[in-house]
Amino acid sequence: MASPLLEARQISKSFAGVRALKGVSLSVYPGEVLAVVGENGAGKSTLMKILAGVQRPDSGELVVDGAVRTIGSVQEALRFGIALIHQELNLAETLDVGANIFLGREPHRCGWVDAVRIETEARIVLERVGLSVEPGALVGDLTIGQQQLVEIAKALSVNARVLIMDEPTSSLSDHEAKVLLRLIRELRSKGTGIVYISHRLGEVQGLADRVEVLRDGDNAGRLLREEISHGAMVQLMVGRALAQFYPHEPHETGEVVLDVVGLRTRANPGKVVDFQLRAGEIVGLAGLVGAGRSELLDALFGVVPALQGTVRVSGELVELRSPRMAMDAGIALVPEDRKHQGLFLEMGVRENLSIASLHREQTGGFLNRAKERALCEEMMPALRIKAAGVEQPVQFLSGGNQQKVVIGKWLATRPGVFLLDEPTRGVDIGAKQEIYRLMEELAANGAAVLFVSSDLEEILGMSDRVLVLHEGRLSGELLRKDLSEEAVMRLATAAHTEVAASSI
Amino acid sequence: MKKNLGIFGLLVVVCVVTALLSDSFLSAYNVENVLRRSALFGILSIGVGFVIITGGIDLSLGSVVCLVGCALPWLLTVQHWPLPLALLAVAAVSLGIGLFHGLLITKLRIQPFIVTLCGLLLYRGVARGFTADQTVGFGTEFKTLRLLSTGKVPFLPGFDLPAPLFFLALVAILAALFLNRTIFGRYLLALGRNPQAATYSGIPTQRMTVLAYVISSGLAGLGGVLFVLDVNSAQPVDFGNFYELYAIAAAVLGGCSLRGGEGSIVGILIGATLMQVLRNTITLVTTRNNVEFAIIGAVILVGVVADELARRVAARRRAARVLLSSSAG
Amino acid sequence: MKLHSLLRNAALLGLLSLSLGACNKPASTEGGTSSPSGGEKSKKIAFVTNGVASFWTIAAAGVKAAARDLKIDAQTLMPAEGISDQKRMVEDLLTRGIDGIALSPIDPANQTELINMAAKKAKVITHDSDAPKSERLLYIGMDNYKAGRMCGELVREAMPAGGTVMIFIGRLEQDNAKRRRQGVIDALLGRPEDSSRFDETSAVLEGKGFKILGTLTDQFDRAKGKANAEDALAKYPDLGCMVGLFAYNPPLILEALSQSNKLGKVKLVAFDEDDATLDGIEKGSVFGTVVQDPYMYGYKSVEVLSGLLSGKPEAVGADKFLDIPARKILKENVVAFRTELKTRLGAAQ
Repeated sequence: MASPLLEARQISKSFAGVRALKGVSLSVYPGEVLAVVGENGAGKSTLMKILAGVQRPDSGELVVDGAVRTIGSVQEALRFGIALIHQELNLAETLDVGANIFLGREPHRCGWVDAVRIETEARIVLERVGLSVEPGALVGDLTIGQQQLVEIAKALSVNARVLIMDEPTSSLSDHEAKVLLRLIRELRSKGTGIVYISHRLGEVQGLADRVEVLRDGDNAGRLLREEISHGAMVQLMVGRALAQFYPHEPHETGEVVLDVVGLRTRANPGKVVDFQLRAGEIVGLAGLVGAGRSELLDALFGVVPALQGTVRVSGELVELRSPRMAMDAGIALVPEDRKHQGLFLEMGVRENLSIASLHREQTGGFLNRAKERALCEEMMPALRIKAAGVEQPVQFLSGGNQQKVVIGKWLATRPGVFLLDEPTRGVDIGAKQEIYRLMEELAANGAAVLFVSSDLEEILGMSDRVLVLHEGRLSGELLRKDLSEEAVMRLATAAHTEVAASSI
Repeated sequence: MKKNLGIFGLLVVVCVVTALLSDSFLSAYNVENVLRRSALFGILSIGVGFVIITGGIDLSLGSVVCLVGCALPWLLTVQHWPLPLALLAVAAVSLGIGLFHGLLITKLRIQPFIVTLCGLLLYRGVARGFTADQTVGFGTEFKTLRLLSTGKVPFLPGFDLPAPLFFLALVAILAALFLNRTIFGRYLLALGRNPQAATYSGIPTQRMTVLAYVISSGLAGLGGVLFVLDVNSAQPVDFGNFYELYAIAAAVLGGCSLRGGEGSIVGILIGATLMQVLRNTITLVTTRNNVEFAIIGAVILVGVVADELARRVAARRRAARVLLSSSAG
Repeated sequence: MKLHSLLRNAALLGLLSLSLGACNKPASTEGGTSSPSGGEKSKKIAFVTNGVASFWTIAAAGVKAAARDLKIDAQTLMPAEGISDQKRMVEDLLTRGIDGIALSPIDPANQTELINMAAKKAKVITHDSDAPKSERLLYIGMDNYKAGRMCGELVREAMPAGGTVMIFIGRLEQDNAKRRRQGVIDALLGRPEDSSRFDETSAVLEGKGFKILGTLTDQFDRAKGKANAEDALAKYPDLGCMVGLFAYNPPLILEALSQSNKLGKVKLVAFDEDDATLDGIEKGSVFGTVVQDPYMYGYKSVEVLSGLLSGKPEAVGADKFLDIPARKILKENVVAFRTELKTRLGAAQ
């Protein structure tokens, strides 16, 4: 094997006296994909930030091409050919795609930005990541998935020798993810060393040459190509074996709880959607990014009211012109974007948990503080929310615990219809399982659960039934016994044009 | 409460220093004056505080003070309206202005800055229009009505409480109850923190926003009435000029974040008082009041910077604690 | 009542003509316009004030009376937003092809250029406040320094044994304000006449039994003006006399005095003829006031400009100064003064 491009030796890092990394080592070789996996808080992101010059280690050394180096800033890291694609998007939404790709290193002539060069070069990298948008398009107008690809295009345009990707596929549709994975393989064949962080173990299994597992800020183990398996990774990550990852059990389904007829959403005014949900079933809503999944849930929850159509909840006709009306009808929505739509980050766990049910527990407009406390005392242990206390601002909780707070807030309204949009995005494995278990419990207690996911494994693992959306209309429905990755994808890409009940 | 400690400390320091430098600062007469002015400005500041808490801004309140301050004497002494009708009219106008702002902001989605900036120009212009730029006042009439602002309630021997203080107390108590004890107060805070999440939580965000602007303009109207009753005359060209900025400064000093979601009534009261004490200090201690704005500006800046630094230290500590708990768990 | 509705109509009319497309017409207050009935291509004159005040309403009455007597088109303009507003107004007037302007410059030293520019296109005179370095043809007004000295004499009469004095004024940027204040100070300290002197506002000045403790400005914020009076009373419990030098200052001081039960105990010497001030003189809570004659400012401005426009250069005297002296109003002549004021205002309608 060639000598490593980049080595981290015994890296330690503390934040205000707390050790986030306890002597972690890692090496990246040219032409390989090194997957780094671990639960949230294991130290993956901190280690990556140190490699990319965002933060400096307290001790340990970084070796680039065999020589010990100090990487003091992102610019220095770039000079060594090390680029990091952040998990959180770092784009200027009001600028166009080309400007974002070249942000901070715009090609120029005598001080004037060379717009022509930006456009031609942007086109090249955009094509490489398989994103068909104009360089002049505003980033703010793109979907989250497309924005992620712009972020990747940005990293590609610096010709990095070591490319670090932190959860690059977490917001991509399956199709987009496939393009990205192909791109990664292509880069690997050209000798780029790729460090790949993902919670999607299936993806890691198919892609990685080596896996480095971190746990609690330390190296927990290494797996080589032939040793990589779902079970082996999970075992190293959590320090024990997980019996069954998806706790799915067949459910007894009851009455129709949600009956949607002729629903026309603002996002896809040309298409109508009809479907039903029954009590006690978990239904997956699959489709590519842009197929209108979130828009459908937003319409059902009254955030963006539908243009047309009737909705019955437990047989009763309901109007859904605002979230409050949907809540009164017994519908709850765990939204896609946890930080922006689901939580009040600076507010405490208590205030976040109670916000959706306050109006039910009021007396003459006044807060019922006893009920509020009781709610926290019920939810925190029931959902196993790990927080320093009920007043801890939720911004300091892990992704999984944040998501549990959002779910708890809706549990408090005792809904009959539970809509979840990407419920496990950015959540670590342990918490993922807990969320699955919660979904199971909800169904067992008679709620109808409809969840959107871009993670096919999750869709296959958790659904009693799958509805597939393609360009705003339902392209098909699959029962559990007919479920397969291919079947879902065929409907999602509408490769096979089934005459769906939804055509006008 | 802990958050207001810094600004409260600053107020105490300014008071102690002034008392050491000037014998008259703690005289009953001066304390009464400062309390009355703080009460008048405090009412305005609480109003704008509500808007700031929702993440908005109200630049029009100085002009609302002007409109109402000119309208009341004009209606009473020029148009000879009966008192209850005139009071009702100015109340309706000030609340109506808030409603108008709120609807423009929520239904037409025009930015609060622009809506209220236009209001700033509009209402003063209207006041100047119907008064034809003439100074309006009560002259020697309406002495009883004016007691609402100029009256005093004996408190200690030789020390009376100025009437506006009671208005302030009432407003402040109601505001504090509303903000901290009702679901609507919680909604306002949540809305200010994250309007999108508020929508997704089923909070009637539009109604809450409108409510905040109605409160702001309504209290500006009350302030306008009390101001004109105190001063006895109003010139539409300059009455209430810049009061929106004093009110916003007081609210920000008192811990309201212009990003929304943060703010306490106690803090706003301390902020408003600090502003008035500073102005008093400058007149009492120095013989030049032309540096007044420089000093006020500097003190506000010091207060806000100190607050920001304190917040950062706290955040760093908290982050450390979180890391500790997550690496332990 | 009648005056108000008239003014309102005039303002409405102005607004209407503005919205009808006369974009170059000044958008600010028009204290009243009048035009001769019939007559071909009459000359147009504008009387521009330095702000909005009841003082200028009286002047506008003079303008109106002169316009009627001389059959000439004259209007009064009051800039509300200070110096930039005034500049804009003058520029707009010139664009409109005005023939004569009577201007009260807010900041004479820095408005010379504007006045000279205007003088190239129209006949320009100054009133109330002079700009001696400019090419204005004439200054109509009162010597503010002398009027200030009159005010100082009133203080002396109010407190023959001497005492402490505090001065209140809107702002000191304008020349007339500076000179007025300096006149008060110089008269009290018994200095010889020298209108070019200037004492710092923060200086404490003593002499001839009087101690001037300072000067407080309020920048036209009335609540602040009242607060200044209150703070002065708090700071100097034994204050002898308060001098309010802008028209609205004495009424605010009266408010502060009455709320602290010091009416009559602290002497108040005023300037100008606000209603509350005159009431105070009748009741004895104000010792006296010095009044200018704004009506004559307005009347004479129109008269002089009209003369200049019809080619009578003799309207301008050698010293280029038309003195309209100030008067002292005390308890004994206040009633007569009020009657005169009322007649003049009434006659203008």
